[in-house]
Amino acid sequence: MKNLLRIALSLLVIGVALSAVTLSAYAQDDPRRPVTDDEVNAVSKKLYCPVCENITLDTCGTLACAQWREEVRLLLSEGNTPEQVIENFVARFGDRVVGTPVDPTLRALSLVTPWLLSGLVLLGTAIIFLRWRKEGGAPTPKASAAQPSASASVRSLETYRARIEADLAARR
Amino acid sequence: MLAELGFIATFLAFLAALYAAGMAFYSVRVRDDRLLLSARNAALATFPLLTISLGALLVALLSEQYQIAYVWNVTDPNTPTFFRLTALWGAQAGSLLFWSGIMSAFAFGALLLNWQGQRRLMPYVILYTMLTLAFFLSLSLFFENPFERYWIMPDNSVVKSVFALGGAVPPASVRLAETANGLNPLLRHFGMIVHPPLLYMGFVGFIIPFAFAMAALASGDLSTNWLKATRRWTLLAWVSLSLGLVLGGRWAYDVLGWGGWWGWDPVENAAFLPWLLGTAFLHSVIIQEKRGMFKVWNMFLMLGTFSAVIFGTFATRSGLVDSVHSFARSQIGFPLFFFWFGMTSVSVGLLLWRWRRGELRDERRLNGWLSRESLFVLNNIVFVMLFIAIFWGSFGAPIFSELVMGTTITLGKDYFLQVTPPLFLALFVLMGVAPLSAWGVTSLRRLGKALIVPTVLAALIVGLLALTQPAEPLALLIYGVIALSGTVALWETVRGAAARHRSLGEGWYTAFTALVARNRRRYGGYLIHLSIAILGIGALGSELYQQETQRTLAVGQSLELGGYVMRYDGFLGGQVAEDGRIMDIAQVTVLRDGREIAQLRPRRDFYPNAQGMNTMTIPSAHSTLENDFYVLLVDWETISARSATFKVFINPLINLIWWGALLLVIGTIIGMYPEDRPALATAKAAQPSQLAGAKA
Amino acid sequence: MTELRMAEDLQVERAPSKRGANFLIVLAAAILASMALIFGLGLRHQQRTQPTEGAAPLFTLKTLNGEEIALESLRGKVVVLNFWASWCGPCRDEAAELEAAWQQYKDKGVVFLGIAYTDTERNAQAYLKEYGITYPNGLDYQTRISALYRISGVPETFIIDRDGQISEFVMMPLKRPQLSAMIERALAKGAQP
Repeated sequence: MKNLLRIALSLLVIGVALSAVTLSAYAQDDPRRPVTDDEVNAVSKKLYCPVCENITLDTCGTLACAQWREEVRLLLSEGNTPEQVIENFVARFGDRVVGTPVDPTLRALSLVTPWLLSGLVLLGTAIIFLRWRKEGGAPTPKASAAQPSASASVRSLETYRARIEADLAARR
Repeated sequence: MLAELGFIATFLAFLAALYAAGMAFYSVRVRDDRLLLSARNAALATFPLLTISLGALLVALLSEQYQIAYVWNVTDPNTPTFFRLTALWGAQAGSLLFWSGIMSAFAFGALLLNWQGQRRLMPYVILYTMLTLAFFLSLSLFFENPFERYWIMPDNSVVKSVFALGGAVPPASVRLAETANGLNPLLRHFGMIVHPPLLYMGFVGFIIPFAFAMAALASGDLSTNWLKATRRWTLLAWVSLSLGLVLGGRWAYDVLGWGGWWGWDPVENAAFLPWLLGTAFLHSVIIQEKRGMFKVWNMFLMLGTFSAVIFGTFATRSGLVDSVHSFARSQIGFPLFFFWFGMTSVSVGLLLWRWRRGELRDERRLNGWLSRESLFVLNNIVFVMLFIAIFWGSFGAPIFSELVMGTTITLGKDYFLQVTPPLFLALFVLMGVAPLSAWGVTSLRRLGKALIVPTVLAALIVGLLALTQPAEPLALLIYGVIALSGTVALWETVRGAAARHRSLGEGWYTAFTALVARNRRRYGGYLIHLSIAILGIGALGSELYQQETQRTLAVGQSLELGGYVMRYDGFLGGQVAEDGRIMDIAQVTVLRDGREIAQLRPRRDFYPNAQGMNTMTIPSAHSTLENDFYVLLVDWETISARSATFKVFINPLINLIWWGALLLVIGTIIGMYPEDRPALATAKAAQPSQLAGAKA
Repeated sequence: MTELRMAEDLQVERAPSKRGANFLIVLAAAILASMALIFGLGLRHQQRTQPTEGAAPLFTLKTLNGEEIALESLRGKVVVLNFWASWCGPCRDEAAELEAAWQQYKDKGVVFLGIAYTDTERNAQAYLKEYGITYPNGLDYQTRISALYRISGVPETFIIDRDGQISEFVMMPLKRPQLSAMIERALAKGAQP
């Protein structure tokens, strides 16, 4: 218990130290630091502009997107983190500018639904299998493997013949 | 002249399809074979008729008949002959007619090849193929007519009509040629000659197995006849679709200039969705044939596949979703929607009706959880889950959110890479294990033993990848799982050949060919597994470890990325190509370890006449099996071109995708290759006797 | 007949339970119907175009000067609603024309509202400054207003009459004479204040 506490404490200290380091790094930076194309692209890759449907901002060739990229560069140069830039864009242009909505309801709707539906599929299959096992009167695997098939095929042959007879009867 | 010819031929094909469908149905009611023959002949006639109308359109495109609105819309005097051909599917109207043409070709083939063998199913096969064809032809005739011409009316207004209206005169041909639009720049690529036809073949080809499935349900012949008759048709459609998808990726990689090959765009996904269900179907039919199980499920998968085909067509051609690939908005949205809904309701209804009557009862039950059957069931579940996830992301959530929540959302790569990877991984695991399990029951011990050699082989592959590629432990593990699915297939084949070699004393080559010849389907399938594993490694590598950088370079300067050095040598501005586009080309040299290995020419094409999107960023790449060094020209100093901005990608292992696709085609051909003659002869001899009974 | 009965007997024996079957049929119908509903409505939604008549959708615009203008508060005035963007070439063609028309009509019961589509404050401000535009302009946050009016691009202009009804809609860059004519037509409509 004592050890655990010590570990937790030291982790806390390290965390504070680290954040201090990053903070100071930011503080030292010029408010308008130069931003490389790669930094802009890294953020743009996560954004979509309404003018280019389904194409990320970094590859869209329209003037509108070029302006948005400039905006990304400006925001970065003002000291915003990539996350802040994205938040800023979402606030201004809505959830459509990101690849998965940020809004909690929409995000849940998008990400949870497929698993929910898949879960239902799994549940359905499980129910069918369990029922099969019960219905089948738990036949001993090896013996039943051949037998039902033989009888079924005989039966289907019979129905088939019956149908042909019926057909014939109808034609006469 | 051409317009009239094309239109009349299309109209006759439409009538023939309606006649065939009606007559086929009637022939069953009155049990008259002569009527059925008449229906068949009408159905067969649609193919030559549509060949005539497509031929007329093609001639019109080649001979520059700009009075025809479609020709005016997709070509101009500068269009090279090659792209005049591909302009046939360059816009909605032409591609719809082309689509119908392919459909009639498939129906033609199936009616001729399967006529003798499946007489009982045939009336319904004619009914369903011809109804579908008639629907698509009605779109061509009444909504998107490629043969409409421009006319100038006496009051100087311009109208579009196939036939000359009273007092109308054709516009001056010079004026028409001057104003013609030209082909959409996106479609001016070599890949466009093969990608759309293959994709359409993949889509349309599923009509044959679908029609047979429906025929089985309607006629009550619920044996495996429909499966046997359509196995090769399904494979043909499947391989076309697979290849169409990969070539579409290749086209995006070469033309769209974003450094990737699959963008999870709704239209791409629309083509991938039927592939998922079709692939699940190809697997689960094996169980029905071998074990008499999953009859309802197989029917459902086939109906679902074709429903997904029609849905995809609807979604991409109606403007339901916005996408770079989608066609211009048009009037055919609601007709397609109602056709999709009607077709799905009828087929599901028919299936449920037969099932409720107990006619699709399985002959066996699942026994062991590790049996091949249960692994196949799992495989099917995973395919369906993938289908759900991708369908939801492409069409469900965006439309639901816009309608119900009033918010437009985008579900991009971000979403799909959160949802699909576990499912893909599960598929690869199953691909590795299932071929080793036995029908009925399998013991874990047996399975473990069979996995030893493939695991060693997979480990070697992982080692090789670890040495040549950037990779973290988790990625290596996944590489291993994918590789294992391939090595299992490989080792099973080698083991089979070795057994023959040992027990029959055959030479290795004979042993191998004899083995494959004895069970083409299985070993073709194994080759496909191997190819999918190769493709999977390529897709994973290029997705996970893509590197990119963007830099502005002055002439003579270089940049470095992933062991490559790229030097900017010079700029060729304003080069005018044969088709009228203006190219701005940057010349760069790629070096590795100080040696010059390639000269690349990334460029920007400008199409002065094109409407809408008129510039294209065309990449240039140096390809090796290890990776692609892929360069885009992003920007340049307009006047001096002293400096230019490049975006450079390293796409690891991306070539494996194209090689995997090639192997997949070979595997499918092996799987489709007809059985030996004697077997065929006996099959033929056996079937008529059955029919004789039915017909007598 | 006998054969037929035999076949039926077989089916009774082999058919799935009635309740289960009915449940599945209802389920399938429900799934299909809901999909049809969503995609049918979705398609209709997508195919809707800009309103050209009827009540103009209401909105509140936050202008670049920080004011809030509700469309409803402009009843009794003719409103020229112009969608534009600083990255749009054709918008630049009409910018000066719009401002000139505004100068002409601003005291005659006409209000101009500019709405910048997918634009940024910086670029929008620079654009307004460049063309000396003085009527209220604002950004369309979250593209809500654009969605209400279902615009398909920029520039697009709606003329709303005194009663808040859409009088006219134009999809191309405007020239002053055309714009004046449209405003006059709208002024002639509806009750005088």
